[in-house]
Amino acid sequence: MRTPIAVLRTLKLTVLMCAGTAGIEAQQPPAPPPTQTVVMKGKAPVSDQVLNVRLPRPREGSLANGIHLIVLEDHRTPQVAFSLTIPGAGGFFDAAGQAGLAQATAVMMREGTTTRTTLQISEQLETTASTLNVGSGMSALDATVAGSALTEHVGKLFDMAADILLNPTFPEEEFAKYKQRTSAQLNQQRSIPGFLVQELWSKVISGDHPSGRIAMQATTLNGFTRAQLVEFHKTRYVPDNAAIAIAGDISYADASKLVESRLGGWKKAGTPAPTASDPAPAGAARVSLVDRPNSVQTNFVVGTQAISRVDADYDALQLMNAVVGGGPTGRLFTHLREEKGYTYGAYSGLSAGRYKGTWLASTDVRSEVTEPALTDLMDELRQIREVPVPAKELADKKRSLVASFALSLESPQQVLNYYVTSWVYKLPADYWDRYPERLNTITPMQVQSVARKYLDAGKMQIIAVGDGKKVTDILKKFGPLDVYDVEGKKVTSVVP
Amino acid sequence: MKRLLAFSILLGASVLSAQNKVTFTDTRLKNGLRVIIAEDHNAPVFSIAVSYNAGSRDERKGRTGFAHLFEHMMFKGSENIGPGEHFTLVFNNGGNMNGTTNKDRTLYFETLPSNQLDLGLFLEADRMRSLEITKANLDNQRNAVQEERRLGVDNNPYGKTFEAIDSLAYSNFAYQHSVIGSMADLSAATVEDVAAFFKTYYAPNNAVVAIVGDVKTAEVLEKARKYFEPIPRQKDPAPVDMTEPASSSEKRLALEDQLARLTRIDISWVVPPSSSNDDAALSVLATVLGGGRSGRLYENLVRQQQLASNIGAGKGESRGPGLFRFFVQVAPGKNPPDAEKAALAELERVKTGGVQDWEVEKARSSARRQMVSGLQSSLQRAVLLSQYALFYNDPDRINTRSKMISDVTAADVQRVAKQYLNEANRSVIVTTPKAAVRPGDK
Repeated sequence: MRTPIAVLRTLKLTVLMCAGTAGIEAQQPPAPPPTQTVVMKGKAPVSDQVLNVRLPRPREGSLANGIHLIVLEDHRTPQVAFSLTIPGAGGFFDAAGQAGLAQATAVMMREGTTTRTTLQISEQLETTASTLNVGSGMSALDATVAGSALTEHVGKLFDMAADILLNPTFPEEEFAKYKQRTSAQLNQQRSIPGFLVQELWSKVISGDHPSGRIAMQATTLNGFTRAQLVEFHKTRYVPDNAAIAIAGDISYADASKLVESRLGGWKKAGTPAPTASDPAPAGAARVSLVDRPNSVQTNFVVGTQAISRVDADYDALQLMNAVVGGGPTGRLFTHLREEKGYTYGAYSGLSAGRYKGTWLASTDVRSEVTEPALTDLMDELRQIREVPVPAKELADKKRSLVASFALSLESPQQVLNYYVTSWVYKLPADYWDRYPERLNTITPMQVQSVARKYLDAGKMQIIAVGDGKKVTDILKKFGPLDVYDVEGKKVTSVVP
Repeated sequence: MKRLLAFSILLGASVLSAQNKVTFTDTRLKNGLRVIIAEDHNAPVFSIAVSYNAGSRDERKGRTGFAHLFEHMMFKGSENIGPGEHFTLVFNNGGNMNGTTNKDRTLYFETLPSNQLDLGLFLEADRMRSLEITKANLDNQRNAVQEERRLGVDNNPYGKTFEAIDSLAYSNFAYQHSVIGSMADLSAATVEDVAAFFKTYYAPNNAVVAIVGDVKTAEVLEKARKYFEPIPRQKDPAPVDMTEPASSSEKRLALEDQLARLTRIDISWVVPPSSSNDDAALSVLATVLGGGRSGRLYENLVRQQQLASNIGAGKGESRGPGLFRFFVQVAPGKNPPDAEKAALAELERVKTGGVQDWEVEKARSSARRQMVSGLQSSLQRAVLLSQYALFYNDPDRINTRSKMISDVTAADVQRVAKQYLNEANRSVIVTTPKAAVRPGDK
C-alpha cells in the first residue's frame, strides 16, 4: 500500500516517470498507471552522448553439402563456441502420440557412437573442459548440436561432434537407463509450481498444436523403441537446410576447413526446408487453475496468442512489451512489486518464432493477495489498451533497448546470435544496423494499436497455480473457471 | 558527439588473449575505501562491483534476514536519488544491475555503456553516503523480501531442507541461520535497526569498489575520489567470531515435505575456510566426485546403479568454515539408505584407492576454462576483484586461483578427503515426501 509519506514526496519533489503528457491524458479516461513509487529526482549525471554501436559482422558462406556457415572471428579470449542448427529435427514435427521422440533422439545421440561409449564421451569432453550437447525442444522446429572449447581443443571437439552427429548407436542399455532417470525427473518437476503454470498455459493457448508441448509424458517415453530413434536420426538429421555458427578465436578460413573436414561427408538427402503452421485461435477468455494443495503463493500467467517473428507488428509489440513488463522498469514490476509489495517480481514477454507465438505477463504472489494482485495486473493490460503511453516513458524504453546493444559486444556468441536470427528468419542484411532507426519511428498510437489488437480482453487467458481452497472462489470472479489437478487432469468447470 | 565502433577497433585491442591475465591498480582512498581498476577496451562497456563487508554472518539473534533486507533498501533512494531511480537510470541507459547477499558479503553491481561512467560512480557513492531510511521504504521492501522467501523457500519442494542444511551442520549462529531469515524476524526489523546497520557496515572503510572495462585508470581514480572520498570513515565493525566447535558425532535429521515427490538426501561436512591451503584440494575433490557426467557420483549412482535420478557434490566459497556437500535425489522405488551408503562408498573409494590422473587433469582444465571465460565479462572480473580483495586481501587471486588448482596432486586430494570428510564432521538430512491433500479429499 502506498503511504502518505511517499505521496507527499511524489507531489513535492519529483518528476514522475509517466507525467509527460498530462494534457493528452486528460481527454482519455481513465487515469495513467500508478507508477508514483518510482521517483526521479533527476540529479544524477547522465551522459546524453549518443553511443552508436555498430555490431561487428560475421562472414558467411556455404559448404558443398548445403550447410550454411557463419563465422564471427574474435581473438579476445582463446576459446571457440559453435552451434549447428538442424531444421526439421525438432519436437514440433513429432507425430501426435509420439511427442518427445525428437528430444529422446537428441539426448540419446551422445550416449554412445560406433567408437565411443557414453562414459568415454563424458571423460574426453570433461578432461579438456569442453562442452558438447545435442538438444531438441518439445515444440522446437530444429535440433541443435552446440559446443565450446579452449582453442587448443577445438579439433578434438569437432571430431567428437561429428562422431555424435553421424555415428550414434543408441545403445539399448543406455536407452533403458535414460528412460528410468527421465521418468523420475518428469515426476519430480510436477512438484514445481513454475512448471505447472507453464504446462497448463501451453495447453490452453495452443490446444493440440505442437507449440503446446513442453514436457514428455512418462508413458509415451516408455513406449519409444530404439528402432524409432534410429529412424528419426536417419531421416531428420540431414544437412540440407542446416547452418553452423562459430564464434571466437578462429578465422573464417580455418573454421571452413574444420567444418569441411569433419562434416563434408554428411550427405545431402534432398529434404525440403520444413514449414510450420500456426496454432488454431485460442478460445474466448477463461480462467484455468491448477489446484496445488499447500501452496502459499499463487503463480500467474496471463496472455494471448500474438505474432510470428517476421510479423510487421514485431517491433511495436516488442516495445509495448518493454513498457508493460520488460524488466524492473516495466509497469508490472513498478506497480505490483515496488508500489504494492505483492510479489518479488512481475514481468511480461513476447515469444515469436516461425509460427504465431504468444505474449504473456507473469507473477507469483502470496495467496492472501491473489484477488487484488490479479485485479491490478488486469488493470495494467486495460491501461495499455486504453491510454497512449506517455512520450517520455516510450522514449526511455527505446533508449534502453538500443543502448543495451553495447553490452552484447562483450560476448561474441551473443553478437553472432543476432546474425543467426537474421539467417533463420531471412531478415534484410541491414536489419540490425537499422534497428534503432525503426524503433525510433514507433509512435504511442502504434503501441496502443498493437496493444488493442493483441491484448484483447475477450481472448485473454488467465492461468493460475495455487491452493484451490484459498483461491477458487476468487478466480471465479474473473471468468469461467476450469480446475485441474497437479497431474494435469481437468477436475471441474465452473461457469459463474 | 557520435562515437562509432568498428569491427577493426575490436580486433585491434586484443590484449587479453596475449596475457590471459587481469592487470589492475589497487588504491586506498583517504576514507579507507579500496578502489581497484582494470582497463579493457575490447567493448564499449564497463562494470562496477561494490562488495560490502556485511553478510548474514554479521546478524544477531532476532534479526535474521537483515543484511538481505537491507540490500533491498539500497534501491529505495538516497539524498540525490529517488526510490527506484537507481535501477530506472541504469536500465533506461542500456545497462544492467542488481544486488545480492550471502553469508559473507553484500554485493552491488552495474554494467553500463562506457559513456555512463559518471552515472555509475555517482549512483554507488550517493547511496553509500546518504541512504534514505524511512519506515515507508522499509515496510515496502519487507513485503518484497517476504515474497522472495515464499518463492524460494516456502512454496518450493525442499525449501525447508535448504534452510536445515546450515542449521544442522553449523553450531555457530553466524553461519547457522539462513540468509533470507525468518518471517518473524523480518517483521520485527525497525527503522532504527536499519539506520544502525547502515552506519556500521556501509562505511567506505568497510567496502571495496572494483571498476573494470572501457575506462581510463587515471580518470576513474579522479572521479572515484570526487564522488566517494567525502564520505566519512566509520569505526571498523567488530570482527565476527567464526569459530566452529568440533563435532564429536554424526548429526542426523529426518524431514517430511508436503511439496516434494522424491526422497532427497543431503550430506554435509564442515571443512576449512576458503583461505586455507587445503581449499584447492577440496575443490578438486568436489570435481572428482561431482564434476559433470564423468564424476564418480553420477557415473556410479545415477548411470550404473540407478539408485539416484540426480546427484551432485560441491564446495562453495566461504570466509569462515565451509561446507562440502552431497545431494542425492533417490530414484523412485529405490531404498534411500542404499543410496546414502552408495554415495558414502564413493568417498571411501577416494580415501582408500586415491584418484586418477585424468580426474585431476579434469579439475585443472575446468579451472583454466573458468578463468578464460571470466575474461570475457567485465562484470565477472569486477566481482572477483572486489570479493577477493574483501575476503582474502588478495585481488590478484583472480590470476593465481587457477594455478592453485593446477598445483594440487592426486595425493593431496586423497589426504583432504581423509582429513576432513569423516563421520564426526558429517550431518545428514533425509527429506521424504509427505502425501499432500488432493482436491476432493476431506
